[in-house]
Amino acid sequence: MATGAPTAMITATPTDPMTDAATLLTLMQWFSPAYPVGAFAYSHGLEQAVAEGRVSDAASAERWIGEVLTLGSPRTDITLLRAAHDADAPALVRIDALARALAPSRERLLETVQQGQSFAQTTRAIWGGDLPVLTYPVAVGRAARLMGFAPATVATLYLHAFAANLTSAAIRIVPLGQTEGQAALARLSRLCSAIAAEALQDTLDDIGSCAFLADIASMRHETLYSRIFRS
Amino acid sequence: MRVLFPRQTPGWPQAVLLNTSGGVTGGDCFTVEADAEPAARLTLTTQAAERIYRAQPGETGHVDARLTIGAGGRIDWLPQETILFDRSSLRRRLSVTMAKDASLLVVEPLVFGRRAMGEVLHDIRLSDRIEIFRGGARLFTDATRLTGDVCGLMQGHAIGHGATALATVIFAAPGAEAFLGDVRDLLPETGGASLIRPDLLFIRILAEDSFALRASLIPVISLLHRADLPRTWML
Repeated sequence: MATGAPTAMITATPTDPMTDAATLLTLMQWFSPAYPVGAFAYSHGLEQAVAEGRVSDAASAERWIGEVLTLGSPRTDITLLRAAHDADAPALVRIDALARALAPSRERLLETVQQGQSFAQTTRAIWGGDLPVLTYPVAVGRAARLMGFAPATVATLYLHAFAANLTSAAIRIVPLGQTEGQAALARLSRLCSAIAAEALQDTLDDIGSCAFLADIASMRHETLYSRIFRS
Repeated sequence: MRVLFPRQTPGWPQAVLLNTSGGVTGGDCFTVEADAEPAARLTLTTQAAERIYRAQPGETGHVDARLTIGAGGRIDWLPQETILFDRSSLRRRLSVTMAKDASLLVVEPLVFGRRAMGEVLHDIRLSDRIEIFRGGARLFTDATRLTGDVCGLMQGHAIGHGATALATVIFAAPGAEAFLGDVRDLLPETGGASLIRPDLLFIRILAEDSFALRASLIPVISLLHRADLPRTWML
């Protein structure tokens, strides 16, 4: 969609973002709740899990989010992000098709497609570059490549943004106190680097998840009578 | 591996796969290929549940199936349960290439240890993938990976809440949306159905054991198969 736009993005050599404040600031902006990808509209099935009583307090919310992070699609997303980062244009199309095909429900497909579209639109408008409309992890991986960002910190912050978004959702719907929620997020944050490190090693043939009940929750959410989230 | 063709069939071929070796263990390699020509229909099932036995360290059993469905054709892939034993290692791939207006029903029941026999899985490696290409484009991919202490992992409320049996059902067919409501009405609380894209219905059901899984699954398969189930399923 952006293929006709002039390319103005500066492509630097990959750097370690931990040592580069400018890179870190850009990544903080991408993964901030203020960046208009619309993450706040998606609960990834958590709203349904709350409605069914599987998540009912701070401890069960933290466990649920931690299980999804470790064994569900966020981990798969990191391998997709890495593959997109390393890909040329034709491979990018195939990786994006795989990312779409992996969605286990209509709402989860919307979650990754719509966030990816918004991310690509905003990022392209600000930094330029050939960033087509892609699913969310693939768009982030491609944007990181165009900016010359190495994948490791991008991946860790991507997972943290996912955990932070679901924590915010839990604060609203479980509900949790703000401090309780932030304490849970602080503990969940410690998982992110290790999950990212493992998932970055995986190839597209290795990927797989087993967050079966989270996936089922996103299917059942389609018929939840009263809801505030789109997934 | 042998293929039997029972005489009593609903009007189209019904192939029954029989693993004469009695199961799969590390280092085994099985490949099944089936092709439904334009407008042809084929039902495939298995004679018995497939057992995935303990593998030697570093060895993995490979099971590959490839299905091709021509224009207006239909394949119903209805194997019985795959039962995983402790210390098993399985890499399984089901790949379907179908014409745009072809129909496909896939049912894959997986059992993590037979609860009634007191079997508990603490150390397995499973990589299980179903890939469907329709009209030349990737339509759907179900990628399951379960490694390690399945019994412990499956306790999680985002994972299995103690389930030991799991069924994956995919119905890719023109007009699949018409079945969504009826399928939902048949599902237990631990099951979900979604029309992910036009003409693509995905269903997942968890159950405490394989008996409970069959009770939930058989009405769903009957609805989507639109014919009597293979006799091996009715035992």
